[in-house]
Amino acid sequence: MKTVKIYTTPTCVYCKMAKEFFNKNGIQYEEHNVAEDLKARQDMIDRSHQLGVPVIDVDGEIFVGFDRPALSKALGI
Amino acid sequence: MYDLVIIGGGPAGVGAGVYAARKKIKTVLIADSFGGQSIVSNDVQNWIGMKSVTGLELAKMLEEHLRSYQSGLDIWDNDLVVKIEKAGNGFIVSTKNGKTAETKTILVCSGGSRRRLGVPGEDKLDGKGVAWCATCDAPLFGGKTVAVVGGGNSGLESAIDLNSYADKLYLLHRGDKLKGDLITQEKILAMSKITVIYNAVVQEILGDKLVTGLRYKDIITGEERTLEVGGVFIEVGNVPNSAFIKDLVKTNDFGEIIADARTQQSSAAGIWAAGDVSDVKYKQNNISVGDAILAVLNIFDYLHRQNNS
Repeated sequence: MKTVKIYTTPTCVYCKMAKEFFNKNGIQYEEHNVAEDLKARQDMIDRSHQLGVPVIDVDGEIFVGFDRPALSKALGI
Repeated sequence: MYDLVIIGGGPAGVGAGVYAARKKIKTVLIADSFGGQSIVSNDVQNWIGMKSVTGLELAKMLEEHLRSYQSGLDIWDNDLVVKIEKAGNGFIVSTKNGKTAETKTILVCSGGSRRRLGVPGEDKLDGKGVAWCATCDAPLFGGKTVAVVGGGNSGLESAIDLNSYADKLYLLHRGDKLKGDLITQEKILAMSKITVIYNAVVQEILGDKLVTGLRYKDIITGEERTLEVGGVFIEVGNVPNSAFIKDLVKTNDFGEIIADARTQQSSAAGIWAAGDVSDVKYKQNNISVGDAILAVLNIFDYLHRQNNS
């Protein structure tokens, strides 16, 4: 099973859509709320050079935004 | 052979789909997603019949309503129309996923996309301080100075979202008066963190790895000024998603499909348009639904006349 991390804010619609997509496909993920977790926020910015959510990490590969086709491919679903 | 292809899954497309299924018009609806542009809204307060609903909830309600008619129409979701060709009296519609649909009529409800500023720095710094969704990303700008570009409703609402997080906000508007609803304007003008800059046209977004500022021109004095900001939220309206069909129908200077207001028919026989992709004067969810239903009823009459001739 691949390790999936998602960086989110509570108000982000595409984050919710991404999480629903994971749940529907039985993908386990670790969520970091970057609205509150400043360490996670810095980690996200350093690794993705992005100031926007969601950022999704699949086994070290970074996806910016909720790109369903790209995520499906990376997760083999 | 379909009677109707509906393009789009926003309020217009879904409204059309429900009515087409109820009229037993042989239909396929093609959409990349459901809900339309309001999906990113935190709180929609003018969807009639609901005092308050989030954009995502609205999107789910629309999708669910459409899928309850699943036996009455085909739905190709996660897909996008890429090409339309004339074929005899009808059309062949091709999609990104490689499907094709032969059809007698088409209803275009493909909506709009965000207008970009078209200035240096905008593409390079996209996602690196240049932001398009205050609802999503406002918390990331906590403690920063941020600019919002655009004095319409979306710009004003973005500024309100950001007001809870940013230290200081500039709202840049190219006109000399704000444009959004008065009730929202009053809210903005009462917020002490927000400075409204009128007659301002953005020239460049500055920064190397992340946004560090923006340069704008005062169009009255011609003077250029630079603001130090860590984020730029762009809310300068929409462009219609009409590129895939513009060779078949007449569009206006903005690229909107010109539609007859009594029938929503385009300049081309067999093609109708409704919602934000059309030249409707007011871009509103409720209006889009009504116009799309008007189109379907007109299409129903058209198909009926064709079958009887």
